[in-house]
Amino acid sequence: MSLVRVLALKAVTLILVLFGVLMLVVLVLGATGVSDRILTAYVGEQLRAVRQELSQRIRDPVELERALETYRSELITAYGLDRPWYTRLPQMILRVLILDLGSSRTVTSFSGSSKVSDIILERLPNTVALVTTAVAISSAVGIALGARAALKAGSRYDRAVSLFSSVSFALPSWWMGLIYILAFSFYLGIFPFGGLYSTPPPTTPLERAADILWHATLPVLTLVTVILGGWAYISRTIVLNVTREDFVAVARAKGLKENLLMRRYIIRPAAPPIVTNIVFAISGSIGGAILTETVFNFPGMGRLYYEAITSFDENLVIALTYLYTLIYIASRFILEILYVVLDPRVRI
Amino acid sequence: MPAREWRVFWSSPTSKAGVLLLASMTIVSLYVLITYPQDFGLRIWNNPGYWADYPKEAPPSWVNLFTADKLPEHMVILTDSPAYTYSDGQYYKVYRLDFQYEYSDTPSFLSITLGPAIFYGRPPYLEITVERPDGLTVPLYFATAGTVLPEETPPYRRFDPSQRIFLSGEEQVARSLQLFLRMNNVDLSYNDVARLGPERIIFLELSGEGLGERVLKGRYIVNVVFIGDTHDDNLSWAKFVVGGKVYGLSGTDRIGRDLAAGLLFGFPVALLIGLVTSVLTTSIGSSLGIMSGYIGGRVDEIIQRVSDILNNIPLLPLLIFFTFIFKPSIWLIVMILVVFGWSGLTIVVRSIVLQVKSEQYVEAAVSLGAPRWRIMSRHVFPRIAPFILAQMILSTPSAILAEASLSFLGLGDPSLPSWGQMLDYSFRSGGVNIGLWWWIIPPGVLIVVTGLTFILLSLGLEPVVSPRLRRMR
Amino acid sequence: MMVLLDVRNLTIHYMTERGVLRAVEDVSFQLEKGETMGLVGESGCGKTSIALAIMRTLPDNVCFSSGELLFDGEDILAIPAERYDQEIRWRKISMVFQGALNSFNPVLRIGFQVAEPLMQSRKISWDKARGEVARLFSMLGLPEETIWRYPHELSGGMKQRAMLAMALILRPKLVILDEPTSALDVSVQTQIMNLLKRLKRDMGLAMIFITHDITLASDICDRISVMYAGELVELGDADDVLTNPLHPYTRKLLAATPRLRGDRPPEYIPGSPPDLVNPPSGCRFHPRCPVMFDRCISVRPPMFSSGRVKVRCLLYG
Repeated sequence: MSLVRVLALKAVTLILVLFGVLMLVVLVLGATGVSDRILTAYVGEQLRAVRQELSQRIRDPVELERALETYRSELITAYGLDRPWYTRLPQMILRVLILDLGSSRTVTSFSGSSKVSDIILERLPNTVALVTTAVAISSAVGIALGARAALKAGSRYDRAVSLFSSVSFALPSWWMGLIYILAFSFYLGIFPFGGLYSTPPPTTPLERAADILWHATLPVLTLVTVILGGWAYISRTIVLNVTREDFVAVARAKGLKENLLMRRYIIRPAAPPIVTNIVFAISGSIGGAILTETVFNFPGMGRLYYEAITSFDENLVIALTYLYTLIYIASRFILEILYVVLDPRVRI
Repeated sequence: MPAREWRVFWSSPTSKAGVLLLASMTIVSLYVLITYPQDFGLRIWNNPGYWADYPKEAPPSWVNLFTADKLPEHMVILTDSPAYTYSDGQYYKVYRLDFQYEYSDTPSFLSITLGPAIFYGRPPYLEITVERPDGLTVPLYFATAGTVLPEETPPYRRFDPSQRIFLSGEEQVARSLQLFLRMNNVDLSYNDVARLGPERIIFLELSGEGLGERVLKGRYIVNVVFIGDTHDDNLSWAKFVVGGKVYGLSGTDRIGRDLAAGLLFGFPVALLIGLVTSVLTTSIGSSLGIMSGYIGGRVDEIIQRVSDILNNIPLLPLLIFFTFIFKPSIWLIVMILVVFGWSGLTIVVRSIVLQVKSEQYVEAAVSLGAPRWRIMSRHVFPRIAPFILAQMILSTPSAILAEASLSFLGLGDPSLPSWGQMLDYSFRSGGVNIGLWWWIIPPGVLIVVTGLTFILLSLGLEPVVSPRLRRMR
Repeated sequence: MMVLLDVRNLTIHYMTERGVLRAVEDVSFQLEKGETMGLVGESGCGKTSIALAIMRTLPDNVCFSSGELLFDGEDILAIPAERYDQEIRWRKISMVFQGALNSFNPVLRIGFQVAEPLMQSRKISWDKARGEVARLFSMLGLPEETIWRYPHELSGGMKQRAMLAMALILRPKLVILDEPTSALDVSVQTQIMNLLKRLKRDMGLAMIFITHDITLASDICDRISVMYAGELVELGDADDVLTNPLHPYTRKLLAATPRLRGDRPPEYIPGSPPDLVNPPSGCRFHPRCPVMFDRCISVRPPMFSSGRVKVRCLLYG
């Protein structure tokens, strides 16, 4: 019962956050007049579509213009362009929520659509796949590295892991990506410079999969390099604290086999705090992913963000800001659930 | 820091490394602040005209240490003391610019710049020639110093403040070179001559068969002859630039910017962003945390709710959004980092304060009737101060990284060139795809080292903050 | 009576960042079957190190150890670690650690943790081991459903009982109790002490009862050994030591205990416990001793016998 309550409270906080970010974004857009520009462009676009349609039926140019003018004023009222921006806030929030943000300026989806939602939804799976792969790899490797370092605290291995973690904390993912491109693509020539498919893409499904893997190796490696250190450091600190706990000494005294002790008395109790700390690291992983995609021209949302910024595509920037917040919040919630499952102390 | 804590801090090699790095970065920053002009970003760094006479995409000159064939260094030869001669009613001023050329490759470009000229009669005549080590003289450029307009009265001033002649791209130069080659029995089309440019034709050996492959080494003399009607006709100075294929300590980028200058300027910028952000974030975060933990009740409730929400916001997308909507400026970036960054510390500080508050000596002070602010400043704050200091140091690299990332996305503040902006340009212009390593590696290394400095410092502080971690052995 | 544990000249030094810490210096005592011995002394005087040495779980920074620990006539410090683990550890000697509140893994159920040694030694499953745990729990006054509880759901007293259950699960001959009641409030403390007395009577357990509270030790112990600064300073039957303490430290210790009746206010021992990295010369107690004389500074007193009591003080030489 109270388990549900704990999670519900978390959910409410996170939804509040999402809503808060939305409000902030929309307020800024309204106050700076950007939302007016977006809506005006939207109206113009619809008018163009309608003009084509109407020009088939209405032959008289004067009448056509009049009909269009009527339609335009209708649209302006409908979008609230005749009212001050703050009266349109709820409407604007709703539009962002359902990604009804019209068309992008220049960027199009791979299938040619310039609808914001089409463009983004097409790239979403790529980003999710990239981030989850990288997080899965770095968590597995990082926890193993960190735990080993903690058990050998003070050793040369431990110092090496600590140094690596410190460096990776200060390592910008995009620069790491550039270095990998320089090393593996430019000098060694064993991985492609970017993208996700060769041109032309291979035909058989197996070759296609191999091609994608080949292209995704460096982006994944980049992200892993950058996140790995954090996982290792957090795991090391927590495992080190756990090994100093009285219950580990007790377990050792009562003669538990070392691997059992490791599993049950060190890794298992260390899991919940590791998860809590990872919650805070998620933001970094998402940020890292945005920039990594940019560097590798990876067809995901992060690269799209970069393209939207460099081509001043407001609609896309807004939609992506919202969607990244959404992804972040969703992943945090998943981790919260994981934490509750792992730690009996919060379950009562 | 009291002496004992300082000893503990100083005893670890990480702290020593951190302090050393921070000290050197501070010295570099001070040097930059003193020697660089305030408008370095807009007037110099982001002004392509300033960098015209620099080689483009040149690697650092120390690459010559590792190769047998020496790439040409960048050379700038300037003189303001001409030799005077007079004949046939003409006053000759000969500006002799000579240099030794001992490299295995031709220069990347040639240009000449002339200082202000003054004359009283007809426009003076300019004649630029080069004497090669093999005794041949190459005519390059002939022109009058402009024309005199009817309404003008002497003295006439030209080339103010200076006139640059880009020899490598000048049509007239190519024409006279073609002539020069023909006189030496080498026949090349105008297009070929223009493609080769003076930097090759002047600096390659000439044999009967044509233009050689090998560089002609030895002393070159560029003569700028200024021929005027009166004795007072004058040219202030002449400057000849032999564009190198290596440059300085860090090479140059696509528009010829001296990367060493940008790298140096990046130090104060990074430190400024990092320190301002971390000091503000930490002071807001910790004071709210102390208030929240100590006062409790409604204040606590409100602060905790707000920080809980802020703590759940993904920073980079919002940073991108705000710098995109508003004009990118360093203060905007700092402001956003502070506004969204204080919450984590508040939550931790609050829990520590709650712990400290329940300790006996604090309760004793309360029961003695000590005022609240006094208890906070005398008892609570000293206990958490080392922790806060460590947090402040630890939050510095994230601010530096955030600025670098935004700059890399093209949202940097153009008035303050940073390492992130250098990398943005190198990436955007495809520098990585053609392997311009000197443009890509150093800025990133500096970002990492700067971040690492603060991480080392905070690692060194760890045994002070949590004595529990101090090893038995 | 048969000697169960014979400690001979046990010495343990630790390496610390300040230098070598002489935690235990030349300690010898004997414990008979079914006997309870109190190991009394200020905190940091080496009591716990002796316990850890018997359990063979001394920390890594021990830089020197010598002496013998004869258990049933065999030196358990000399036998290979595997044999100790298979034959002695927890099966014959077990321990209740100081600070029971943190002695349980927070993410495992209490019953499971209690049953672990049983499951491992008899190679049986958790289902099979549960019956034994339940029996032990009821003997120690814990409700059966406690098996399914997590540590944070238990009170201090309940955790201490569960710890006892864990120590007794393999029916050892000797249990070391390291400050088993110091974190508990007084009424729970009394309950645990009564439980310990019952166990001693019913199961014929030998116990080493480590405490800083000499009156608490007198409640349960047959014999008492007093430690000061890593050395055993007085060893004898509980009655003798309590009624007629010989060593000045023991006297001071007794005088420092508050009494309900009597017109004498509790005294305190002047000075502070010595630094074991640089222990005082001669008798380690001399800087705080009220009856100190010149030789105390230069001569390290041996153990003298005075009646049935052994005492390390030059007054009795």
